[in-house]
Amino acid sequence: MNLGDWISQPVNWVFTLLALASAYSGVRVVTSQNVIRAALFLVGALASSAGLFLLLSAEFVALTLVLVYIGAVIVLFLFGIMITRAPLGRDVALDHKRRAPAAITSIILFAVLSWASIRAFAGREVTGVGDATDTRLLGEALLGRFVVPFEVVSFLLLAALIGGITLARKDLSPAEEEAREAT
Amino acid sequence: MGFEIDYLAIAPELILVATIVMVLVLDFVLPRRAKYFTAIASVLGVTFAALPLLILAVDGGSREMFDGSYTVDTFALVLKGLFIVAGYLVLLMSVSYIEGDRYYQGEYYFLILCSILGSLVMASSRDLIVLFIGLELTTAPLFMLAGWRKGDMKSNEASLKYYILGVLSTALMLFGMSLVFGLTGEVSFDGIREGIGDAAAGDASTALGLAVLLIIVGFGFKVSAVPFHFWAPDTYEGAPTPVTAYLSVNSKAAGFVGMLILMYLALPGASNYWAPALWIMAAASMTIGNLAALRQQNIVRLLAYSSIAQAGFMLVPFAAAAVSGTDLSEAFSATVVYLVIYSIMNLGAFAVVIAGARKTGTGDIDGWAGLGSYDARLGVLAAVFFFSLAGIPPLAGWFAKFVMFRSVMIAGGVSTVALAVIAAVNSVIAFYYYARVVKSIWLDGAPATALGDRADTPAGSLRLALIIAGVLTVLVGIYPTLASVFGDASRVLAAG
Repeated sequence: MNLGDWISQPVNWVFTLLALASAYSGVRVVTSQNVIRAALFLVGALASSAGLFLLLSAEFVALTLVLVYIGAVIVLFLFGIMITRAPLGRDVALDHKRRAPAAITSIILFAVLSWASIRAFAGREVTGVGDATDTRLLGEALLGRFVVPFEVVSFLLLAALIGGITLARKDLSPAEEEAREAT
Repeated sequence: MGFEIDYLAIAPELILVATIVMVLVLDFVLPRRAKYFTAIASVLGVTFAALPLLILAVDGGSREMFDGSYTVDTFALVLKGLFIVAGYLVLLMSVSYIEGDRYYQGEYYFLILCSILGSLVMASSRDLIVLFIGLELTTAPLFMLAGWRKGDMKSNEASLKYYILGVLSTALMLFGMSLVFGLTGEVSFDGIREGIGDAAAGDASTALGLAVLLIIVGFGFKVSAVPFHFWAPDTYEGAPTPVTAYLSVNSKAAGFVGMLILMYLALPGASNYWAPALWIMAAASMTIGNLAALRQQNIVRLLAYSSIAQAGFMLVPFAAAAVSGTDLSEAFSATVVYLVIYSIMNLGAFAVVIAGARKTGTGDIDGWAGLGSYDARLGVLAAVFFFSLAGIPPLAGWFAKFVMFRSVMIAGGVSTVALAVIAAVNSVIAFYYYARVVKSIWLDGAPATALGDRADTPAGSLRLALIIAGVLTVLVGIYPTLASVFGDASRVLAAG
């Protein structure tokens, strides 16, 4: 495909825009020194990934991303920051001295991964776009062939929930525990 | 649609699920003084979960569900048995420890049971998604359990280090799996094995190699093989000791099983990528683990480095067979035998550490001096487990080493023999530091001031764990056929 053909297709424009937005937000999530801003950039990164899924006509996945990650996880995260007494402004502690080695490692990893992916997948037709629109198939797969992992995930989440609460909970002294049980 | 569910085949998982729910409810209704009932419920639940395994084993045959993505065959049964027995021993070791610490007993047992459930699911997985979820359910509760002693900074550090590195390695492994899926378009092991031929040829081979390496990074972390071992000593030292025992046995075994079935069933076509990687990991884990263990003063850190080294030994048969290109089934059975024996003797060693730490009041090896003079029985058990880890006949450890070397000799070839030489040198080094602990216990005089309660008797459950592990260690050493049954069973997978 030459450049002229590439430009004449609007879907390529949309893809470029979404990909750039996603990459920019992704970088800002880690470089931002303000937790709230980082969280908002994460919204941007997730929203553009949802856009990429839409381009592949996987609208159910896109909507799940928006509903669950943006709608629930990030909003809860923001509430969590704002309700607790966490520092809201610029926080120098979010930065640290070894950013150069970290950046070099990330760039090398990025280069290797992109090189391998481009070599493997360049020029490969994206098949199956359009078939995936049927959300029913997804539901049938989840409750049919993949029912074991689907049910097991619920225990994974339950374990994370209960363990997380236990660790985050403020410990009462034995006397306080006794008093609480008496009431 | 129309997937038949074989309820007998998943009965162990279902019983465990019921136990998990029951523990949660019990923890909610019981008053504070009676919380230890959750421990009793957990132990009973795990015992009942073992019964269907026996029925299935007698029944024999392979039961496949969901297009073969969930398979209960003899191999899966052997591993489920191992996970259940090891989990049972850890529960017994936990009872007095956790009760004495007055730390959230119900939640503790809940998380341990969830982890056991994950390993059971993983043993049956024949598909990337089931494998991944099972593996995560095995390790995720441990992130939190490692930090269970909330007031202890070391425990917090243990949990955080394990969590952050764990999440990173999981992400890398998942990326590798997604590349495999992208290249073959399949998640089931059979589908991947058939599709891998096309992927291994041409331009896609780079991505395949990268995918395999990323997956190995993930598993390397779970089994704490060098160079992915940095979390292990700190996490082992800081976590509550029963959790450390669980980490070093169940979660390591789960990682091994996952790695081996994935490499063997799904990616044999990519063995030119993973065989050298496993060879290097095996050699480095044995050498670095053992050399670092020589310098340790703390007994838990010593066991941490020893478990890194043992992971190297366990990788040897598989790496050797894959590098030399011989049949993998012998290596598979050798690894499973090693894994079973290692699990029992290592759990025994940790049970000794729990009992001994109360008596001596320290985790320092020098502080354990003269333990044999005031508690001969514990001293004898310590000698049994540590000599077994070193591989001295007639204790179980010698047979594990024997099958390892035998499978290497069958494989043959220059690089294989080199690996065998490294393993032999390391067995000698390992003997030195295991023997040092026994020397301290038996030959050195007890310190004048007692830090712990020397008259302390271990709780009944801990004693039971010590007896079970001790009897099995001696029995398997004298009748090695007991353990080779497990190895033969795992050959079913190789044949099928």
